Amino acid sequence: MTSLVPIDHSSIKTNQALVMLLPVLAFIFNWPWLVALTSVVMLIGSLLLKRPGFSFLYTNLLKPAHLVKPDVLLDHREPHLFAQGVGGVCLALSALGLVLGLVWPGWLLSWIVVGLAALNFFGGFCVGCAIYYWLNRLHVPGFTQSPPPGTPPGMRPGNSAYE
Amino acid sequence: MNEPLFTRLLWSLVIIAGAYLLIRLALWWILNRARNTAQHSSAIEPGRPTVIYFTTPDCVPCRTIQRPALQKALSQLGETFQLIEVNAYEKPELARQWGVLSIPTTFVLDSTGKPRHVNFGVAPAEKLIQQLKDLL
Repeated sequence: MTSLVPIDHSSIKTNQALVMLLPVLAFIFNWPWLVALTSVVMLIGSLLLKRPGFSFLYTNLLKPAHLVKPDVLLDHREPHLFAQGVGGVCLALSALGLVLGLVWPGWLLSWIVVGLAALNFFGGFCVGCAIYYWLNRLHVPGFTQSPPPGTPPGMRPGNSAYE
Repeated sequence: MNEPLFTRLLWSLVIIAGAYLLIRLALWWILNRARNTAQHSSAIEPGRPTVIYFTTPDCVPCRTIQRPALQKALSQLGETFQLIEVNAYEKPELARQWGVLSIPTTFVLDSTGKPRHVNFGVAPAEKLIQQLKDLL
């Protein structure tokens, strides 16, 4: 099934940057509420708004100020929403663990999310998207999209939307 | 975990530095693997640096960005380096041996045929030229 749509990857990258930055700040200042807040923004983005949770920063601030250039690529939206949702759930579990006194597992979960966001931000590899595409390959219901042509599962697609 | 702020900051730096080192290690591993493959390649001419460019016919950024970037490098540096273009669809086994994860990917080899840089995704002309100049 192909439903490639133009997706601004700069918006996704802004989201990843915040998903890296906020839990690290939460760890440094010992602010579990910031982990919970990041989780809520990510889950709202995936479940309700159907876009990167922190994309409002890109749309309303970074893009109009020409601080970040648009990078529109033909891609599937669903794997990115799935990846963000998984990250949001992990951060929610992390915050829950911290509230319940499970300090090390709580922070470990946060750091795992930070690491995966960094892998996507710096390496262009989205682990959550790769999992989505593997589930699609296994014909799991609800995982309807297959990777864009010529793109390994989880890797950043190469096709510009303006070609 | 009620360590003071400084300790937590230090921990964060240690974790980030550790992750960075892991990434460097992974890149070193990829280059090392490519080195073994390069040793058995007859297409690489010794005596000048080589760029091995993995592409596919349907890769738009290859056509619109990567190829012009390589042309710019060729026009600036002339025949001081060799360019080998590989269609990953025609030679999937070769792409696998070189550890190509995405298209385009460019490997920059020194004059002895040893891979020194790998660029996953589009590599701008300036970056390629700098990588090649370091090897000339």
